[in-house]
Amino acid sequence: MNTVIWLVRREFWENRAIWMIPAVIGGLMVLIALFGRVDLMSISPQMPVQAVGGGFLLAVGATFFAVMSIYSTWYLLDCLYADRKDRSVLFWKSMPISDTTTVLSKLATALIVIPAVYFAGADLTTLIMAFIVSVRWSASIDGALWHANLWLQLQTLWLYMIATTALWYLPIAAYLLVVSAWAKRAVMLWSLLPPLTLVLAERWFFDSHVIADVLGKRLLGYPAQAFRDDPGSSSWVTTVVHNDTITTPISIWGFFNVGGFFSSAETWIGIAVGAALIVCAIQLRTRRTEI
Amino acid sequence: MPALIEALDLTKKYGAHVALDRANFSVEAGRIVGLIGPNGAGKTTALRAILGLTAYEGQLKVLGHEPFRERTALMHDACFIADVAVLPGWLRVDHAIDFVAGVHPRFRRDRALALLAKADITGERRMRELSKGMKTQVHLALTMAIDAKLLVLDEPTLGLDILARRAFYDALVNDYMDETRTILITTHQVEEVENLLTDVLFIDKGRIVLDSSLEDIATRYAAVAVAADNLDAARAEKPFHERPMLGKVVLYYEQPNLTKLASLGEVHALNVADLFVAKLSGGAE
Repeated sequence: MNTVIWLVRREFWENRAIWMIPAVIGGLMVLIALFGRVDLMSISPQMPVQAVGGGFLLAVGATFFAVMSIYSTWYLLDCLYADRKDRSVLFWKSMPISDTTTVLSKLATALIVIPAVYFAGADLTTLIMAFIVSVRWSASIDGALWHANLWLQLQTLWLYMIATTALWYLPIAAYLLVVSAWAKRAVMLWSLLPPLTLVLAERWFFDSHVIADVLGKRLLGYPAQAFRDDPGSSSWVTTVVHNDTITTPISIWGFFNVGGFFSSAETWIGIAVGAALIVCAIQLRTRRTEI
Repeated sequence: MPALIEALDLTKKYGAHVALDRANFSVEAGRIVGLIGPNGAGKTTALRAILGLTAYEGQLKVLGHEPFRERTALMHDACFIADVAVLPGWLRVDHAIDFVAGVHPRFRRDRALALLAKADITGERRMRELSKGMKTQVHLALTMAIDAKLLVLDEPTLGLDILARRAFYDALVNDYMDETRTILITTHQVEEVENLLTDVLFIDKGRIVLDSSLEDIATRYAAVAVAADNLDAARAEKPFHERPMLGKVVLYYEQPNLTKLASLGEVHALNVADLFVAKLSGGAE
């Protein structure tokens, strides 16, 4: 366990972007909150303040989550390749640390540690922004951002998403590790080439699109898998801003589809495929010392 | 006491290329062994096999472990520098010490710090800011601070200037080596390590061509420099190698008749470099 903690620390030393990117995003958002010009007075006065508050907090979190997804993908592709490229793998392998521990620590960094850092960054940013916004527009916003229930929902949403995305995207993450442990160069290209080839070959020879469907479902099907699309019309509220209408959920509690997610065969097939690919990545790590 | 390293028909193929061809050798505890061979002879492959970095055929036991399957256990008792300058550029010196101290139960921090202080290298610098020589010093400090039974060094002084090379070998012999340790070292600078080695393994085309202690080399081999008129008589004694030198011919013998040779010319002992050249280039040069 101690070894794993040191391995994760090592990832922070090597990849300073893990905390620098969320720090920069947070800093920019705070600057916008401080100096941005938003005419809140024009927002329809009938709107429920909770919806505005929730939408605002959700938007901050979504920005962090989107950037995190891109960064994690890059991290997974790079983490078993970079030290082979600069040959420092020869130093890391001189330590009494098994390849299994090494690979699993990198996977855990991507699926748990990095999301936790972004979660903390998003939380801190929303707190500071909510405070600034409340002070600047105290008249119109009227404490809309300070509802314990709202914050609790947000925390739960993050934790639920960290847990479920880690499981749903496990096969993708493990596949990226395999590419990272295997490729001699151009990891990005090598990560795209096999699936693309399979999809095109299937279309060419069988005129079908089973592989494309499976991959598409895995990449884009997460929301449908982890959330209910309609928990009942009473959960939605429509807000009018200028000429636009925004429909937002009043509460997210009804949207978690915990039972559906964990009872779905697709979830468990994904985990099984992911586990098999992790074994592959460990084997490759053991055998491929250098480029 | 069983040998520290025991290789039996050790073989490694890369496709059609045979890097190690049924190599047999053993290394006893407490020795400083030089693994010496020309480029492409299989030195690095042999070391990679010993360190568990590559799969192989044949039998290999290092400190009682099968290296490839038991690398993690092996690395508790063995440490290595497989190449110079492999510490990553982003790593800070103090972080490197913290990391090894955190994951290696046999690491002695005070020892590493003392070695670094000696080399004038301070804590918060990153490897990319250090010269190649300094980087090597850091790696050596980290490695020599590990209480290991076996230390493996692959061309440890490549790219270092003469002062740094001398300092390195002095530290190795005076500060590090004792009867509990064993060192296996590869280098093509044979002259440089000659007087610190206790044994040599010559490797050529994937095979071990000589496995001998230095005392044995001194008693077993001799060379004689003869003038042209004694050449035929000298050749009759079956030299395994000869080369011309300053108008004379030097002939190399294994288990020679020394009294006979002395009557033909000036007899002298062979150093490792001479023997290496003679063994690997075969007959006449």
